[in-house]
Amino acid sequence: MENLLSNASPHSETLIEERGKRIKLAAEVGLARSSGGRLWARALRRRLHRQRKLPQQTCIAKNSTPPLMKEVPLVADVTEEKEEVQDRMRALQRLVPGGEEMEVERLFEETADYIEALQEQVGVMRALACLLDGIESTDGDKL
Amino acid sequence: MDTDLNSISYLSLNYDHQPVLDHFDSALSSIVSSPSTAPPPPGPTNSLVIRELIGRLGTICNNNKSLAAGGDHSTNTSCYSTPLSSPPKSSLHSIPSMNPNSMPFPPDQGFTERAARMSCFGSGPHMAVSGQLSRVSSSQSLMDAGMTGGAQLEGELTVQESGGGANNGRKRKAGVKGKGKEASLASSGTANSKMSEEDPSAKRCKPDCKVGGKKGGVEEKNSNSSENNNDDRENKNENDSDNTDSKLAEPPKDYIHVRARRGQATDSHSLAERVRREKISERMKLLQDLVPGCNKVTGKAVMLDEIINYVQSLQHQVEFLSMKLATVDAPEDCNMDNLLRKDMHQACDRSMQQAVYPSAFPYPNQPQAGPLNSLLTANSISNMGMQPASNLPFDGFGNTSAQIGGFWEDDLQSVVQMGFVQNQEGALSSQSFQGSGPSSSDMKIEL
Repeated sequence: MENLLSNASPHSETLIEERGKRIKLAAEVGLARSSGGRLWARALRRRLHRQRKLPQQTCIAKNSTPPLMKEVPLVADVTEEKEEVQDRMRALQRLVPGGEEMEVERLFEETADYIEALQEQVGVMRALACLLDGIESTDGDKL
Repeated sequence: MDTDLNSISYLSLNYDHQPVLDHFDSALSSIVSSPSTAPPPPGPTNSLVIRELIGRLGTICNNNKSLAAGGDHSTNTSCYSTPLSSPPKSSLHSIPSMNPNSMPFPPDQGFTERAARMSCFGSGPHMAVSGQLSRVSSSQSLMDAGMTGGAQLEGELTVQESGGGANNGRKRKAGVKGKGKEASLASSGTANSKMSEEDPSAKRCKPDCKVGGKKGGVEEKNSNSSENNNDDRENKNENDSDNTDSKLAEPPKDYIHVRARRGQATDSHSLAERVRREKISERMKLLQDLVPGCNKVTGKAVMLDEIINYVQSLQHQVEFLSMKLATVDAPEDCNMDNLLRKDMHQACDRSMQQAVYPSAFPYPNQPQAGPLNSLLTANSISNMGMQPASNLPFDGFGNTSAQIGGFWEDDLQSVVQMGFVQNQEGALSSQSFQGSGPSSSDMKIEL
């Protein structure tokens, strides 16, 4: 254990970064898998597939919804407001995986689901971190 | 009034899943208890009581519906005044569209709309609801607990209306209709109206301002065409709405039935537009619930801002935590990827639900860490042999667990459970929509 730790430190930066990336990837994969029926999950899986990071067992149903232009916002008639809302819609589209192809209603639904999945993921990771911290400290004591 | 309370809670009980019922049970009882008037004689007071009660029922069912349809706003007892207008997506949601008629009603519509809407809930499974609804309403007015049969509300109302004779078949004047309804509600003793009786009058009363063939039509198809009662009920409700304006010819049953509002354009385009707008605003409300601190914000742009910020912050958190996990001790490294993937998947696994709620689960830093520590070390050593620093050992969950070793199952489960403990302890709202598949709904429920 100590050896491992000491070996880790000289390359700490890159090693940790690399590990971080892998972990993040794993988290993404987990996230993508967690909600099979959702558009954003499908899009996420597609993206991971493209990067060949996702093992190929899951069957990807190609989401064939045609890309829909962002609709005119439904707020009042002020053009400026409309513009603002449009901008934000686009930003949200970018945030949610697969969002570019969704129309407004769909986007909101997917966003809500995506938020929930993210919340859950954060919780799991936090729990993991806590757990492993605890283990670390216990381990240190034992050593 | 106790019987009424019971019947009302019973009403909500049958709506959907059990947990929902429990939640609404208390909510309903608290709400119902507030109209403290004893069963009054027919008259204006009676109508007020009924109106209030059903209005509250409507809000509850609204919440219920949003819970079912859009998210488990189980804690959301705030009375949303939005009408149950937008049907959930039929393909993805497990709950059939609750309101086959996406009627854009303003928040302050009378009780009749809400009642009608409630009784409009889809087909089969919801017939019980509407039946109970009708039971409730009748008992409200009549202290009559003898209502049986599903979908009685509409029939009841219809019958009473025809009985009352005030607004027979005239859907235009909601106010008058309302009164007539109430009077008839009050007057009619046993409201076990036969559907045959109801149908003609309901049909007569059909408001017929329907929008045909809109994109939601497909969604509505099931519920709309499923039950004649539902249609009648919808129409009845539409009749009772205040702003009924023009009447269109009765459309085929598989279309969205929308009522034109008074003083608004009645062409199909604007109606569809309005329906869409209602849907969107309802979804935005759902999002508002999810994102903490969004309730005080008004205005679309600002709210969207908040939502975007929240999503970004969540994504950053994931990144940060992944970095943090990376800095944790090396032996754990090999397991981390598997752990996360398996965690996420297990988190949404149905079977996890039974194991999930760790009320007495010890915190990570406590003795639990001991055995886990040894397990982890052992596992990491074994894993190093099996998976040389690769990310992709994942052959499917069964295989993974076989690879990692049986003893991981418990660990992972405990980790996930701890995650849930943390989630519960954190400020996460326990909402979710009734998502597309079982996995998402499970995920929500676990939250």
